[in-house]
Amino acid sequence: MIPDTVYGAILLSIIDFFLSFVVISSIGFVLSLFPYLNRLGEIDEKKLKEGGH
Amino acid sequence: MFDQVLFFFNALLQQTGAANFTWGNLVMMIIGGTMIYLAIAKHYEPLLLIGIGFSCIVANVPGPPDVPGGPPVSALLYVVKEGGLFHYAYEGVAKLIIPPLIFLGVGAMTDFGPMIANPKLVILGAGAHLGIFVALILAKLVGFSISEAGAIGIIGGADGPMAIFVTVKLAPHLLGPVSVAAYSYMALMPMIQPPVMKLLTTPEERRIEMAQIRKVSKLEKIVFPAVIAVIVNLFFPPVAPLITMLMLGNLLKEVGVTERLAKTAAGPLMNIIIMILTVAIGSTMAADKFLTWDTILIVGLGLLAFLFGTASGVVTAKIMNLFLKDKINPLIGSAGIASVPIAARVSHIVANQANPHNHLIFHAMGPNLAGVFGTAISGGIMLALLGVQ
Repeated sequence: MIPDTVYGAILLSIIDFFLSFVVISSIGFVLSLFPYLNRLGEIDEKKLKEGGH
Repeated sequence: MFDQVLFFFNALLQQTGAANFTWGNLVMMIIGGTMIYLAIAKHYEPLLLIGIGFSCIVANVPGPPDVPGGPPVSALLYVVKEGGLFHYAYEGVAKLIIPPLIFLGVGAMTDFGPMIANPKLVILGAGAHLGIFVALILAKLVGFSISEAGAIGIIGGADGPMAIFVTVKLAPHLLGPVSVAAYSYMALMPMIQPPVMKLLTTPEERRIEMAQIRKVSKLEKIVFPAVIAVIVNLFFPPVAPLITMLMLGNLLKEVGVTERLAKTAAGPLMNIIIMILTVAIGSTMAADKFLTWDTILIVGLGLLAFLFGTASGVVTAKIMNLFLKDKINPLIGSAGIASVPIAARVSHIVANQANPHNHLIFHAMGPNLAGVFGTAISGGIMLALLGVQ
């Protein structure tokens, strides 16, 4: 897909670097929604551990 | 009679490695010894450097030739070949069994709370990866193929298992130098990063204290691995084995009901894997394979990748500060390079030197953990663009 040339290396780098920012920003956005999970309730960690093996 | 004794003595000598010892073996033994010294005297990642250093020394004890009159074989390569003691250790790395297991252990010992708590810092996990691409372009310029250049560039991701994973897929013949460069530089980060961090920041910036971040609930920590595993498997199948195992390990830790499994993954299993991995990496450091112009170039490009990655992380943090009301300490930017938790520790230490009241470790862990995903994403995109599954 990418030519095995210096131009190809530059192209690969630009696309990869840019897309990495987009994807990681998207993960950041998903994480920013995580506090809303707490509206569902709270997990009792003590009870959770009691069921452990 | 005397001639016969000499003949047999000479034949006996040829059966040992002594006759085949070269200056290259000596150089590599000194390098192996230096790694052990740094691990013991300076405490630079002893878990990694002791094993790599020791097996590097052993790998440079020449063994007898495979065939009479043939070239000498290093002692460790001798045991790495089929039927040898470390054959399965090496195969475990080359066949990509070991890297996902390392990620399982890393996941089981990691608290992703700092990353979940401060999502805006996640972007530093991408910002600190410019080094990958600088090394990639330079590697292409000096004559490597684009696949080889990609494998060399990923050293800048400062993530050992990911470097092994991508290299095996793109340029398996470079596994030795790439993994040695990646793990050595990760261990040497306390020496490599601080000069760059100090060069790019003012004393005032280094003294910035950051506000305490929120407490992350258990529910968030349990949902996190499942969500990330789905995202990565959906969009980045080439690197899904690693991140999926990372998330499985983390889920075992966070659910609370599989403590035994989490402890095994993070403890005994991880320790066994580290021993296998370090021996396998060190075994590739025989002088005849390692002391080549290509290896020297790879090691040099790897260093540049780390330097540029550190610099780009700090600069990204400074750019973020232009838009943020609550300023962040730019030193946490360099932690985005990955290498958990070494890079975060370096950020903390440099900040602590500038301001003894500054405890940056928790803040730096956010970008540091995001750096793991940053490397995986960069590696996944690279594999996809190069048409590798």
